[in-house]
Amino acid sequence: MRLALLTLLPAAGWCAAPDIDALLKQLARPAPATTPFVEAHFLHLLTRPLVVAGKLEYLGPDALARTVESPYHERTEVRGEAVTLEREGSKPQHFSLQHAPEMKSLLGSFAALLSGDAAGLRREFDLDISGDEASWTLQLTPRDAHVRSRILSIVVAGRRDEPRCITTQQPHDTTTVMLVSQAAEKPPPMADRAWFDQQCK
Amino acid sequence: MSPRAGAALLAGVWGALIALFAWIIHQRLVVSGDLRLFMPAPHTSVERLLLEEVSEGPAARLLLVALTGADAQALADTSQQLATELRADPAFRLVANGENRLDSVPEALLPYRYLLSPTLDSARLDERFLKSELTARERDLASPAATLLEPLIPRDPTLEIVKLLQAWQPSQEPQQLDDVWFDRRGVAALLVVETAAPAFDPEGQKRALAKLHAHFEHARSAAKVELTVTGPGAFSVLMQGRSEADARLAGILDTAGMIVLMLLAYRRVRYVVLGALPLATAGIVGLTTVAALFGTVHGITIAFGFTLIGVALDYPIYLFSHQLPGVPPLVGVRAVWPTLATAVAAICIAYLAFLVSGVVGLAQLACFNVTGLASAGLASRFLLPRLMSEHVSDHGVGALQARAAALVAALPRSAWLAPTLALACLATLVLVPGPLWENDLGRLTPVPQPNLREYAALREELGAPDIRYMLAIEGTSADQILAREERLAGELDASVASHAIAHYDFAARYLPSAATQLRRRAALPTQAELRAALATAMRGLAFQPQLFEPFVADVARARALPPLTAASVAGTPLELTTGSLLIEREHRWIGLVTLSDVRDPAALVSLAAASHGEVSLLDLKQASEDLVAHQRVRILWSVALAALLLAGVVVVALRSLARALRVITPMVLTSLLTLALLHAAGVSLTLFHLIALVLAAGLGLDYALFFERASHDPAMLRRTLHALLVCAAAACVVFSVLGSSTLPVLRAIGVTVVMGVTGNFVLALLLVPPRTVARASGSQ
Repeated sequence: MRLALLTLLPAAGWCAAPDIDALLKQLARPAPATTPFVEAHFLHLLTRPLVVAGKLEYLGPDALARTVESPYHERTEVRGEAVTLEREGSKPQHFSLQHAPEMKSLLGSFAALLSGDAAGLRREFDLDISGDEASWTLQLTPRDAHVRSRILSIVVAGRRDEPRCITTQQPHDTTTVMLVSQAAEKPPPMADRAWFDQQCK
Repeated sequence: MSPRAGAALLAGVWGALIALFAWIIHQRLVVSGDLRLFMPAPHTSVERLLLEEVSEGPAARLLLVALTGADAQALADTSQQLATELRADPAFRLVANGENRLDSVPEALLPYRYLLSPTLDSARLDERFLKSELTARERDLASPAATLLEPLIPRDPTLEIVKLLQAWQPSQEPQQLDDVWFDRRGVAALLVVETAAPAFDPEGQKRALAKLHAHFEHARSAAKVELTVTGPGAFSVLMQGRSEADARLAGILDTAGMIVLMLLAYRRVRYVVLGALPLATAGIVGLTTVAALFGTVHGITIAFGFTLIGVALDYPIYLFSHQLPGVPPLVGVRAVWPTLATAVAAICIAYLAFLVSGVVGLAQLACFNVTGLASAGLASRFLLPRLMSEHVSDHGVGALQARAAALVAALPRSAWLAPTLALACLATLVLVPGPLWENDLGRLTPVPQPNLREYAALREELGAPDIRYMLAIEGTSADQILAREERLAGELDASVASHAIAHYDFAARYLPSAATQLRRRAALPTQAELRAALATAMRGLAFQPQLFEPFVADVARARALPPLTAASVAGTPLELTTGSLLIEREHRWIGLVTLSDVRDPAALVSLAAASHGEVSLLDLKQASEDLVAHQRVRILWSVALAALLLAGVVVVALRSLARALRVITPMVLTSLLTLALLHAAGVSLTLFHLIALVLAAGLGLDYALFFERASHDPAMLRRTLHALLVCAAAACVVFSVLGSSTLPVLRAIGVTVVMGVTGNFVLALLLVPPRTVARASGSQ
């Protein structure tokens, strides 16, 4: 009886949601790859969200660049653990991911997604998938307790082989919603949480 | 009580006393590793500074750590884990590996950030400045740096603490890979660790090193990561370990060699034990006296002391070899005693000269040897004969002795030998090029050169400042120095711009003068002004209205703070950086300006000259060479005085200038010969060679005295030959073992003494009793 149930389980999984490894394989992009993004930051420090738009560049397994084009210019480049932040009107700042494990894990998850590194992703996160192939949601929960105290979860939502929206949930009601690819093509009508959440559906 | 039982009782009591004192010394003796004891006494403030830096300055407590053997990521991980563990261990005061940690500034220092940071020199916390800062912070919150900066922003919206940490980074840093220091080739992760224990406390350093290794075992990210630790503290532990290992091995080999030699010479087990008693007595008495007079005994004093005291081994040999069958030993000893007493008195009086050498270590050594040798001499005269048997064979009779005597008689002798040899030696010393004396203070340490090179290489990688040039500013208070340093900054910046120097560092970079701090404090707005400026600056930005209350509170606190002083930074990370640059000595303060990559010393000379005496340029290389040269002059005068005293004692004892001359000539010639041979071999002479020469001279004096005494009697000559062969063989065995040591210093001493003993023995045979020996062998 028990044996029979066990053999049924994977089959049941197949029916409910797409296979994680298959999905990750589909999400992988060869470097270099570029996508536009629109990002909204909802922070308890702020009275209204900060919305920035620009492009994301995947330069290779260990390198990412994020260029803000509106409402101001700023470029962040991450190579390995070294981060360089260049902003108009001030000299470049350098810092390291070493002191910000949560940031390291955040950027690490991006890189792992883009390179299709399922094993790397599983090392850092518990993965949970829901929905179907046409519209899926991949939830990443940090395994490390220290990282989890800073990042509650990262939810990637997408359709077929294309991610649309990455929502990072942090403590103190801090949330970052980043729209990518097609979802980022039209500018947001206003900095409204409901609108952003709608795009992720 | 029968004489036999009496002898047994005496031997028992003597042995028990030696054992008892050895135990007491073992329990009580405080061994010091302070290198200054064997360095010259300082005369100028620069020399004093130099020696204190060598032995107890923070630089002397630094251990330089290199992690190698794996890829950069694994090394960086190990470096960070190791640094975290070391920071939590009270055995270490400072741990730096290049990590720039926001949490490394203690809470008490945080409000001081507005007084310490130069921001307020060029800006005010007004609307305009706050507006640009707050706009930047808003953008930070929408950037990947958000998680890093978010916790700081309410309290520190201008990120003053980040600016301070950046400003406090060493002026010349090694490259950073994966956020920690690496060497230029990127194969070694580098750390600097300051121990709580002083450098000259070998036990404390040993504990700290053991802890460092334990933390490393725990922290290493991969089994192939390797740890290299270097620095003065590591050297003192290394030296202690190696000298102990060498001493143990030498002790075993020497003991075995001596037992074999004594058995061969006297064929009685009892004499092996008896021969050791005066030596053990000498060691115990010498050590006890030094401990009582000086409090602590330097490790090197013990090592050298026991080396030099080896002369005492010869005293019983003279007794044994000159014993006659059937003559009670207490009667027989009277014949040997005048010569033995002369030898002991001469060497003791000669050692007194070292008391005035100005080197504490040498004074200890002198004290050790004078009391040790005197007690060994007295013990040989008054105690040892009571333990000896009168049923012995005549050591002057035997095929070997006869052959040796014949050989001695057949030796070619010439009146020209001594002057020719002396001239040849002097010519070698004068004509062969190369430095006669070692002037480099660094080479006077007993640390092996490869270790010093490894240390120098790591120092350079870590961007440690120039070790030759430094600027010193003297003043009556720490604050006066800080103010002077601030005034000097302009000229130093100009020197950097003109490439005279690459970088400079001084205490005022970390701790501004009270005047500067007060000026910045006065530039801080009142609470009402700040609130108004903030309100205007926040207009149009998304920050919550009350968000910056912690900032307002900190600024209000800073407005009431007294300036931070050299005394009030105690216990903070600032103490470590300023402590080595701002030194208090006898109510005077000295500020050091360290320089790196000095390309134009002349520019520094004129900078110092233009300061009207406020600033002086220290040339530590020159100072150390002066110091060594100064020490050498004093030691040479001591040796000259010792030689005079020794000659005087011999003249008085022998009551004849001619006889005294015959005794002293071989010793003087041997010393010259040894010096000439060492110089010809390209060896620069150091304190250690001088000590070895003095020992060889002491042994040589004994040989010559006994030869001279025996010159009129062929039978006695054979007994003396027997004694001197045993003595010289013993010395050669002991010092050959030392000469094969892994430590260059011990090797230098061993080789020099073997050369000296051989020279003294041969020259005594050739020069002392030419005519009488010839006559004696003719009558055989």
